Amino acid sequence: MSRAFTRALPWATAWRIARRDLSARFRGLRLLLVCLFLGVGAIAAIGTLTGSIEQELATRGRAILGGDIEAQVWQRGLTPDEEDAFRALGTVSGGTRMQAMATAGDLTAPVALKAVDAHWPLVSPLRLKDGRLAKAPPEGEVWLAEGAAERLDVAPGDAVTIGGEPLKVGGIIAEDPEQLSEGFALGAAAITRSDVPVRAGLTSPGAMFRSKIRVSLDPARNPQGVVDELERRFPDAGFTFRTRDKAAPGAERFVARMGEFLVLVGLAALVIAGIGIGGGVSSYLEARRGSIATFKVLGASSGDIARIYLLQIGAAAVAGSIAGLVAGVVVTPLLAKALGELLPVTPGLVLNWSALGQAAAYGLLVALIFAAPPLVRARTFPAMALMRARISPLRLSRKELLLPVGLGLAAIIALALANAAQIRVTAMFLAGSAGLLALLGGLGWAIRHLVARLPRPRDPLLRAGLANLHRPAAQTGSLVTALGFGLSAFVMLAAIQTSLDANIMARVPQRAPDYFVLDVPKDRQEEFRAAVRGFAPDADIRMVPNLRGKILAYGPEGRMVRVADLAEIPDDAWFLRGERGLTYADALPEGSTLVEGKWWPKDYAGPPLVSIDADLAEATGLKIGDKLTIGVLGVERTATVASLRRLDWDSMGFNYVLVFSPNMLADAPHNLASTIDVPGGEARGGLLRALARAFPTASVIETGTILTDARALLSQMSTAILAAASVAVLAGLAVLLGAIASARASRTYDNVILRVLGASRRQLLLVQLAEYGLLGTILAIVSLALGSAIGWVVIVEMFEFEWLPDWPRVLAVLLAGLAVVIAFALAGSLPQIGARPARALREL
Amino acid sequence: MTSPLPAIQARNLTLTLGNGGDAVAILRGIDLTVPAGQTLALLGPSGSGKSSLMSVLSGLECATSGSLSIAGQDFAAMDEDDLARARRGRIGIVLQAFHLLPTMTALENVMTPMELAGMPDAQPRAAAELEAVGLGHRLSHYPAQLSGGEQQRVAIARATAPRPTLIFADEPTGNLDAATGSDIVELLFSRRAETDATLVIITHDPSLAERCERIVTLADGRIASDNGA
Repeated sequence: MSRAFTRALPWATAWRIARRDLSARFRGLRLLLVCLFLGVGAIAAIGTLTGSIEQELATRGRAILGGDIEAQVWQRGLTPDEEDAFRALGTVSGGTRMQAMATAGDLTAPVALKAVDAHWPLVSPLRLKDGRLAKAPPEGEVWLAEGAAERLDVAPGDAVTIGGEPLKVGGIIAEDPEQLSEGFALGAAAITRSDVPVRAGLTSPGAMFRSKIRVSLDPARNPQGVVDELERRFPDAGFTFRTRDKAAPGAERFVARMGEFLVLVGLAALVIAGIGIGGGVSSYLEARRGSIATFKVLGASSGDIARIYLLQIGAAAVAGSIAGLVAGVVVTPLLAKALGELLPVTPGLVLNWSALGQAAAYGLLVALIFAAPPLVRARTFPAMALMRARISPLRLSRKELLLPVGLGLAAIIALALANAAQIRVTAMFLAGSAGLLALLGGLGWAIRHLVARLPRPRDPLLRAGLANLHRPAAQTGSLVTALGFGLSAFVMLAAIQTSLDANIMARVPQRAPDYFVLDVPKDRQEEFRAAVRGFAPDADIRMVPNLRGKILAYGPEGRMVRVADLAEIPDDAWFLRGERGLTYADALPEGSTLVEGKWWPKDYAGPPLVSIDADLAEATGLKIGDKLTIGVLGVERTATVASLRRLDWDSMGFNYVLVFSPNMLADAPHNLASTIDVPGGEARGGLLRALARAFPTASVIETGTILTDARALLSQMSTAILAAASVAVLAGLAVLLGAIASARASRTYDNVILRVLGASRRQLLLVQLAEYGLLGTILAIVSLALGSAIGWVVIVEMFEFEWLPDWPRVLAVLLAGLAVVIAFALAGSLPQIGARPARALREL
Repeated sequence: MTSPLPAIQARNLTLTLGNGGDAVAILRGIDLTVPAGQTLALLGPSGSGKSSLMSVLSGLECATSGSLSIAGQDFAAMDEDDLARARRGRIGIVLQAFHLLPTMTALENVMTPMELAGMPDAQPRAAAELEAVGLGHRLSHYPAQLSGGEQQRVAIARATAPRPTLIFADEPTGNLDAATGSDIVELLFSRRAETDATLVIITHDPSLAERCERIVTLADGRIASDNGA
């Protein structure tokens, strides 16, 4: 460490001098303030919103779950022994869940049926649209969700059938507190008493239904402890447990991941803001050259100068960050309103101190990194500046920069990774953003040097405009970086969204079947085919046996591992968690490719065999000849691994990770699942009605409805990401205005000289237009190229979709962004154009 | 209080600015000894090296070669930061363009060098000094609210408040009208007399030079005449 540091001014004295020299309104440091305000505000808002939702999910956990613990099991009811065990724990409520078809007259709708007993609900009642707080519907009635009622065109009092069972609509659901914990369902909800699906045959052996039981525990009991006990007692029952602490793990995961991603987008915006901070601090210190030199004349060392200005900049950074934190918290309710249905719950306002701390830390670290270079440069400014106009600044020591910049960067990376649930994704995002910024920085530098080498235009105004892009102290490089990042993000998001949309609209319907049908009785296979062909003779029908089961053990014979004994299930072995779809087949299923082993012959009657997905084999270490034990309807069955397959997930039809030889599963009660592809998509309404009538226990899911929902969700997510990315553009605009402000003196001088030489204000405006038009064109090319390239990687390489951006929309987004940039630039330059020559010459 | 050591002892001082072909020799071997407590005027035409010599003598700039001892301290061996610390409390500088800190009041401007030197009671001492230069009623005024003469009075108060043993004044009346300039000169000499500090004034004005005990004339970076040698 240099002597300057060891014998520097005491911090208290430095602060006294700094405070005196600092304008109460932070004059000269407002760009830093605005940049930090924007960046910290965005991150604080995202953090507060995420925290508020998480808090809401946590505090309402019991209401969302509908009890303290919940156990779910596929395709069977609870045994008396199991039921007794649950009843001994507290008050219980049981029921079933399944897909079903509802009809009213000629109208048909798939519904997610929730059948409940008389004890339901254990925690919070249901709210109906007419304002009533309801419990389980009376016998013979159904509470229908609004979507289902609309589709069936029914109102309270009307008649409907579900699974063929006649029911009266008792009320329309306004809010079911348990909705979030019910998990993914196709179709709107319908709530009936638990005898309805039993009478309709929807719970007959082999049908795809889930039994659920919820328990309201004695408050003194720990839910997780109870679950552990139950798991020990019924290790192979196939239960999936949930506790009130994790009532809606899917929603929690979604909120946490989305929040994490948006914080990273906010961080990228903050880095753009950092360029503004660097520019702002640079101009501030540049304007204080005289003061710095005077301090030195009065005996201040370079260390003292660093302390004085570090304190000033630090004070401004803290003020900007605090303002950002306050704004971030204040806008959260508005943000929650704007995001509306994308959020799983309507959150209250919760001060999430760790998120706010994180936002402030990011802001101050970014300020440190970007303010350090001008600050270190200011230290080297000699006292002689007061005596001579031309001075040689002292040498800038890169070593002195290493500490603040290196520490700042390391702290940001550490903070981002420490808060990351998906470290790899976060690391990739950070590396990608850093790469993009470096690329943009390089491009900005190259453009500035390229423009300098262009032949000089003959038009003097165009020549002046062009010269402004490469003159000494021109900020073309930082402007390309700052504005290019935000605009590239705009292009990328527009290209990704329109591509995904086009894929969902055009490509997915082409590849995906028109209908998925569950629970077709296996002895009515031909009848089903005939019913479909009656409406759509050319329909392509695929039918497969459909069962659910859980992998209980796997591995080489004699050394099998029991899943229940695994301390942790690896991420890529997701198939080991809970119950999964199973099937059996004589021949290799369509869309699968055999990569190892042999397929069993038709009518194979030897020891049961299984063909497994090669990815699962890799995750579990399973090899040909190893054993696999599954639990199906409470019965353990073991098969030998005969082959490995590669699945074509793109086919969007049936894809089973485990396919058994028929002799393994054919005797288990089960139904069939079917896909129906109707060429040209004709006969939709009629087919749905006919199937609902002829197969009341089957449930038909239309791909179109799922895609509509997916598009709506996608659009809302895009809005959220776009909002976060807009902060990057706003930060870019702040950098632009800062650049204009810092060049004010030299630009005013130029304009005054041009005015003296006879240029009109209109001509001066044209010079600015030429300059910013050129900058805008460069930005457009750079953003279009970079944004499209990244968008292409995401769509084609990550999502494996087709690259189908809607170019007019992408260009419209880009041009709108550019128009804002140029409008800001011209508006910022107007005062310089309007300067009166005589007065300006006196002042310059 | 005077020191037994010479206030300034320079041997063969040179200053060259720029490098290679652009190099310009500003000072070309200055030998100068100034006893403590002496008043000295540096005269010479523009470009003769007066201001540069003052910069080197006051530690604002490092000489290219030669030796320089200020009140016994070897300035030639010091870097920029050491020179800054060496100035603290010992050297006061008054500049032609005043160079007050525009964001600070008159009082704060005068306090600053004492605070940098770690002196206690900076505020009362600064107030007393401003009172002594006739600005007791302008303590809380900013430089922009003061006339040129008043600004130079603040600059003199700022230079003399820490009680330096050596005061440099670079054309202190250059930016002022004749009447105000004359007042400022009176003030400068009277403040110096109170502390018995060594005073080096750079000036074009022969009548101002006449008030000093010694006159050194520079021409082309060299001492052309010295009536005290």
